[in-house]
Amino acid sequence: MTELTREALLGVVRRVWRERDPVPADLVAKMQAVVATETLDLDYELLVLVERSRELTGARGGSAYTLQFAHGDVALLVRAAAEEQPGDGGRLDGWLAPATAMTVRAALVTDEREWTTDVDSRGRFEFRDLPSGLFRLWLTPRDSDLRAFGTPAFEL
Amino acid sequence: MTVSTSRSTTEADNLWNQCAHAFAQWTAGDSGALDDLVALMTPVLWHVVRAYRLSEETAEDVIQTTWLAMVRRREAIIEPAAIGGWLTTTARREAWRVSKTATRAVAVEDDELAFRLPQQRSAEVAAVEIDENRQLWAAVDELPERCRRLLRIVAFENRPDYSRLAVDLGMPVGSIGPTRGRCLAKLRVALMQTGDLP
Repeated sequence: MTELTREALLGVVRRVWRERDPVPADLVAKMQAVVATETLDLDYELLVLVERSRELTGARGGSAYTLQFAHGDVALLVRAAAEEQPGDGGRLDGWLAPATAMTVRAALVTDEREWTTDVDSRGRFEFRDLPSGLFRLWLTPRDSDLRAFGTPAFEL
Repeated sequence: MTVSTSRSTTEADNLWNQCAHAFAQWTAGDSGALDDLVALMTPVLWHVVRAYRLSEETAEDVIQTTWLAMVRRREAIIEPAAIGGWLTTTARREAWRVSKTATRAVAVEDDELAFRLPQQRSAEVAAVEIDENRQLWAAVDELPERCRRLLRIVAFENRPDYSRLAVDLGMPVGSIGPTRGRCLAKLRVALMQTGDLP
């Protein structure tokens, strides 16, 4: 029996963790899709995800969660939910603070499709009938002196 | 048992070199090299970040944050050779920050980690492999939690920065090296006790 070297022991550790807590099958592809969207347009501030919370599943099925993003004094709360009727797609409800006149694009990371709406005077916006997938939100101010914002990708 | 013994020293070095190459190609204008870099390092980041007891969802968020930070700050990363360390350090810093937010951190209990059977193999081969795996897993599980976390990080990184690790694990800087040594010694003993090792 040979003495187990340090590297052999670390090899055992790697093997154990690769088997018991494997990398999710789609993670590499997701990250590749996300970085591809990032290289296209760097002229915006990235909102940082500060909190993620999941709501209890309702009796009718659908699931929902909220994401809270922030950058400096700007806060964005997004609620992502499956529609209550199967086949209806998903909806996103957003609250931007402070309320600022902005155009919001919800863009699928995995292909070119995107949907557009506006932030209302109370800082709210919504998208309905979205397909499920990995989305990023891009917020462009009407006033070109203000900064544009983007979120990291999240699953709907 | 089929525990690899020889490749390991070069495994991390090779990976870090491939990363440095891909990063240099990408910054020189080859956009496809970015996909290579992401494919090479995402698995490493997964294991490093999960050692911080984050849920799978939160771990994915941390990894995404790391990749976005690299793309956005690529011009500030002057030394391509150091990209592997830059990525793992950034991911660990973010994992540590997020793990401090109690509502987002979910303890990864051992029994949550479902036992995954190898697929599409004969029952006999599978049974032998399962037995081997159980022995290896048991040896790792017997380690104190601090050892499990430290060794997981050290195993997937290439010479991590001890001062940062010390902060993350709540240990004095000077104790990381000796603790790692003790943890490895415990693992060695546990593996010896399981029987026929290489």
